Amino acid sequence: MAGSQLKRLKASLHKEGLIGPQKSKKDKKRDSKSGVKRMDKRAALEGIREQFNPFDLKHNVRGPKFEVTSNRPTNKAIHGRPVEAKTASEERRRQTLMVDEQRKNKVGGIVDRRFGENDPTLAPEERMLERFARETQSRHKKSSMFDLEDDEPGASFDLTHGGQTLSLDGPALVDDFQEDMEGLSDEDEDSEGRRAYLKRKALTEGEDIDVDDAQPDRKKTKQEIYSEIMAKSKAHKAARQEAKEEDEDIREELNKQLHSIRDLLFKTKDPRNNEPLDKAAEDAERVRLEKEYDLRVRQMLQDRRAQPTERTKTDEEQAADASERLQKLEEKRQKRMRGEQESESESESEKEEKEPPADFMEEDEEDEFGLGSGVAKKSKLLPTATDLGFDDEDDFFIEDDLVASGSELSLEEQDEDDEDESDQGGEDDDEFTKGLLAENEIKDPAFSASSSMGSKDDPAGVPYSFASCPETHQQLLDATKNVPIEKLPVVVVRIRTLFHAQLDSRNKAKLGNFTLALIHHLPYLASRRKLAPFSVFEQLIRHIHSLAKTYPIEVADGFRSHLEDVAKKRPLDPNLGDLIIYTAIGTIFPPSDHFHQVVTPAQLEIARFLGQKMPKQLSDLAKGVYLSIMILQYQQVSKRYMPELINFNLHILLALAPQSLKNVPFPVHELPDGLRVNNAQAAEIRKLSCYDCMESERSAKDQNIFKIAIIDSTIKVLDAAATLWAGKSSFLETFEPFKQLLVHLTSRPCRSHFPDALKDRIRKTQTRIEQMLKLAQIQRKPLELHHHRPLAIKSNMPKFEDTFDPSKHYDPDRERAEAAKLRAEFKNERKGAMRELRKDANFMAREKLRIKKAKDEAYEKKYKRLVAEIQGEEGRESNAYAREKEARKKAAKRNK
Amino acid sequence: MPDVKRKRSKGAEKPRKKARSESGSDVEDDAQAQILSLETGILESKKHYNNINKLMELARNKEDGESSLVATVALTRVFLRLLAQGAMTKKTDQSEKEATVIQWLKDRLVDFEVVLTDALAEETTASTGLTLAMRVLKAEGQYRDNKEEYSFPEPFLKDIVRAIIYDGSEDLRQEFCEKYLGEYADVRYFAFKALNEVFGADENEQAVRESLFDNAFEVLSFFEEVPDTMEDMGEFYIEKAPKKHPVSILSQQRRLGQVAWLAALRLGPNREQRKKVLQIMTRSIAPWFTQPEFLADFLTDSYNAGGSISILALSGVFYLIQHRNLDYPSFYTKLYSLLDKDILHSKHRSRFLRLLVTFLSSTHLPAVLVASFIKRLARLSLHAPPAAIVAVVPLFYNLFMLHPSTTFMMHRVKATIEDTGFEDPFDANESDPMATGAIDSCIWEMVQLQGHYHPNVSTIAKILSEQFTKQSYNHEDFLDHSYGSFLEAEFSKQVRKPPVVEFMIPKRIFLPQDPASGVEDNLLTKIWDFA
Repeated sequence: MAGSQLKRLKASLHKEGLIGPQKSKKDKKRDSKSGVKRMDKRAALEGIREQFNPFDLKHNVRGPKFEVTSNRPTNKAIHGRPVEAKTASEERRRQTLMVDEQRKNKVGGIVDRRFGENDPTLAPEERMLERFARETQSRHKKSSMFDLEDDEPGASFDLTHGGQTLSLDGPALVDDFQEDMEGLSDEDEDSEGRRAYLKRKALTEGEDIDVDDAQPDRKKTKQEIYSEIMAKSKAHKAARQEAKEEDEDIREELNKQLHSIRDLLFKTKDPRNNEPLDKAAEDAERVRLEKEYDLRVRQMLQDRRAQPTERTKTDEEQAADASERLQKLEEKRQKRMRGEQESESESESEKEEKEPPADFMEEDEEDEFGLGSGVAKKSKLLPTATDLGFDDEDDFFIEDDLVASGSELSLEEQDEDDEDESDQGGEDDDEFTKGLLAENEIKDPAFSASSSMGSKDDPAGVPYSFASCPETHQQLLDATKNVPIEKLPVVVVRIRTLFHAQLDSRNKAKLGNFTLALIHHLPYLASRRKLAPFSVFEQLIRHIHSLAKTYPIEVADGFRSHLEDVAKKRPLDPNLGDLIIYTAIGTIFPPSDHFHQVVTPAQLEIARFLGQKMPKQLSDLAKGVYLSIMILQYQQVSKRYMPELINFNLHILLALAPQSLKNVPFPVHELPDGLRVNNAQAAEIRKLSCYDCMESERSAKDQNIFKIAIIDSTIKVLDAAATLWAGKSSFLETFEPFKQLLVHLTSRPCRSHFPDALKDRIRKTQTRIEQMLKLAQIQRKPLELHHHRPLAIKSNMPKFEDTFDPSKHYDPDRERAEAAKLRAEFKNERKGAMRELRKDANFMAREKLRIKKAKDEAYEKKYKRLVAEIQGEEGRESNAYAREKEARKKAAKRNK
Repeated sequence: MPDVKRKRSKGAEKPRKKARSESGSDVEDDAQAQILSLETGILESKKHYNNINKLMELARNKEDGESSLVATVALTRVFLRLLAQGAMTKKTDQSEKEATVIQWLKDRLVDFEVVLTDALAEETTASTGLTLAMRVLKAEGQYRDNKEEYSFPEPFLKDIVRAIIYDGSEDLRQEFCEKYLGEYADVRYFAFKALNEVFGADENEQAVRESLFDNAFEVLSFFEEVPDTMEDMGEFYIEKAPKKHPVSILSQQRRLGQVAWLAALRLGPNREQRKKVLQIMTRSIAPWFTQPEFLADFLTDSYNAGGSISILALSGVFYLIQHRNLDYPSFYTKLYSLLDKDILHSKHRSRFLRLLVTFLSSTHLPAVLVASFIKRLARLSLHAPPAAIVAVVPLFYNLFMLHPSTTFMMHRVKATIEDTGFEDPFDANESDPMATGAIDSCIWEMVQLQGHYHPNVSTIAKILSEQFTKQSYNHEDFLDHSYGSFLEAEFSKQVRKPPVVEFMIPKRIFLPQDPASGVEDNLLTKIWDFA
């Protein structure tokens, strides 16, 4: 551009139209109308200023960079405004650093922290307004939850009696009372809600007693809004309630009138009664009633509650349901057998395990009760077990007993029937159900008195009622000490009905303890010299089983503590009671489970006995046989293999065989030789019994019979084991020794000692086993265990960044990335801080220099001034002196 | 001078003893006063040396226990004093008369030592006797003859050791071991030497030898750890031996330990004793041996003995193989033969399995041999307790990982052989593990055990049919289990989740089913009689 700076400025100003020939009025008017002019002018001036002061802006030194892929796209040509930045920072320092510096080494001072005090932009009115607003706000905010004053915004104005005088006979008292009454309707509301309620009520009544209204309107807080909403909904609810009550009243009235309605309805059928009535009136009345009746019926039909939620199921459907349920249970059992449930997540499995039975029970109860109870009441039908609150499983239980209990219990049942002339009469021939009916009686309040009189015994000496539920074994013993052992199940039934969980909330715990006592009672019964009949054991175990459904944990703990006892006190010497307990465990809990809290330790204990017991007496062998049977029964479904069982039974055969056998492939204990069978040709075969498990002296003949019985049972057990484990992959190796032993037993030296029946059994079993072994050999295949899909080599997909930015860091290690980021930030900050400090120091130096200069200058000035003053004075004085001298000279001259 | 001090304290003890006996009976008091006067007489002048004879008689007199003991103590003091004074040391410038006196004194000392060793055999005096004898031994070693030459009163120690081994009580042996044998290097050295000589000269019959062995075992097995450095050897009882002397050389000490043990083993221990020896073999005996080859005979004998002795000897043999490069012919055949039907039931099971793991851990073993071991163990585990199965399965896993060609035992797809009727090529009666044909067999046994009644066992057995993703299992985690530990593990868990209860309540448990119901009787009622 040509020309000097000034010329160029002029030219550009001219170009923007800022200077130049004056505009006409018209133009001016037009411009001012459009309103753009002034702004434009300022912007134009700004532009010109910028243009003419290039050092105010920072540019790239060598002009713009070329576009390449990796540089950050920046389209701003100006990088900064150094002058502005410098002045700004200078100013800032002057305001902060300078002030600090000036205040340095000076103590005291008042800092005015009032709002807007140091803000010159605020007008005084605005400032006051803002301050007031802030004050009210801070007061409004609940600063502390314990601040009582804040609870009531208008606390200082709040008068307890609304400003009214206190007088006893005044209307205020009545008001108070009313208020109280109103307060009762919403008892559990807090005072806030209540006040809101009152306020709302007052508003609806057109009064103005609101305490809050005394204050100017302000925005409601959330809390207030919510309390208002709550109060509103409560009021609505109250209104609904009221309406409902009204309906109720009407309905009741209608009910009362039902008699007359019915009379009217049936009146037509009985012409004698309505003779006195007017025929026409009667007709009209009837039409009206019928109409009304129809209307009612239609209404009732339309009523949703009249619809059945679930329709009645047919017998087939019920059977299908039952079978489906059983199938589900079986599936679940299978799952447990495979041990799969453990692999599921804990919560889920728990849920699964817990819920279905509960659900099922509830459903059943609901549905039975939904249609059954009313019918049963009215029609006086026999109540079923389900009606009485038993779940389905117990249903089985009772039905079964209905079928099976005939034989030994029929006698006393008849006695009872004669004695007990209740409304069931002779129809009910089972004592289980009878007990349950007794429960029905108790449920009925009319019978409660009779049941409480108690202590009435039936002819067999079994009391009908018990003062308290026996909760320990001792109590149970006390309660049953006069009861013949055969009647024990009856006692249990009565106790179970008397203390049914539905009768009293505490009964649940009581029955739980009673169950434990029953578990203790089992080994106790077995430990007596004279064994109780096994029907009693059976009934007791079944009772425990049915109770176990309600008290699974208690029952499991009871059994486990017994098992622990056995393991600690008599690890290799179980008694008869323990055998019974093992049996009970096998029936009450599913032994097919992969893992079960009770069954697994029980099996381990049995296995320990079978594996480690060195049989010394025949009774040990008998116990072993019993336990072996137990294990086979445990594994009937899951068919798991137990090495100890095979060992023990083979060992028995080896120990009892008339001749010893060498080179058997299973471990052999040192055996007492007295166990061997000798000349028992005459012995007949009998089954083993529990008395054989007790140690006792036997005659030689008995001994032989006993031994033969053991051999016979052992062969049966091994036979059963072979059948059970027939499909096992190593059947050949497992049962080969058994075959060897059987061959050994049929050999001449052994055979001659056995009775014919046993020989027969051995031979039969031998052929069976040989066949099975042959079959197993035919079926044997090489193992192919590892048809797994080959494991893939682990591969990693490269990760692509869609919006890759080379200047960014993509560190996959999060921690490292964060650390790097932090480090960079720190470096930046540090740099910045250093720069700032340096600038501060520069600034301070500059300021100090400036101050010093100013000071020096002032001093110089003063100095000069003083010098000048002195010089002036001197001059004046010398002038005066000269003048004086002159004068004196003149005077002397004059005088001369 | 510690010795002087001790003597003084001994002297100081005396009046107390006296005071105590004073309260007793006057007779005893008199006897003791007499002993005391005799003792002081000896110490006062050489003229009263004959008092020694009197005291000796008193000491020998076993009927009066108290005074005999006092006399022994007095004599000990006398000899200690005499030895310390040098009254029993020959000097060059001594007259002939003095020499006879010294000779006479020495004879008396020998007599006294006999008295002391006799005291060791008595139950009541044994402990005191031992203390006194050892003190005399010390004095004798310190003050006898010319001091330049190191000498240890070996004959006396030999007598003591002989008395301890032959007649000493268990407590005495214990005391001897604790106070002297374990503490002092020289006592140990010469005691071992003495043991060797004692046993070497022995010509007793078997029963005596067995009891002797028991006693010797007790003494020798006192050392659970063999000293590794000079510091471990302990101090010297008498005085520090010169560096060159064998007593202060570690290898010589060990050599004598070896000699003593060999001597003891030569006594011919019976089965039980052998077991005891074998149990501490690798830890306490073998380290003594500078030439463990000497053990080889004993160990191979034991190894071949069969039964639990073999199992116990195994670790010793292994020690020799490992440290001495012992070449044991057909070691694996022997090892294979140890896998008999009782091994998994034995109480040494985990010990054996630990060693077996070591022996089979080499990757250079032929796969055929490894397969034989696997198959044999699999067979055995068909009759094994759960704890054994649990220990065996991880071993299998690791072996399969080490020897991939054995994995055919788990997975064999053969198109040539017809699908069924596969004959097991494994010969269980073959004793050579290289010829059993196990490598062509399969481990059906383990598949059966996957259906084991104990959930943990079956779960562990199942690792064999799952994919082999783990490098190896740590055997130690599986070795030490038992019925007891399994049960404890079960009972220690609390029942939190309600256990599953069988949904069907059975109609009959003990009694036969109602024939009308059509349900079959259960097994129990079929076999058992519940009438």
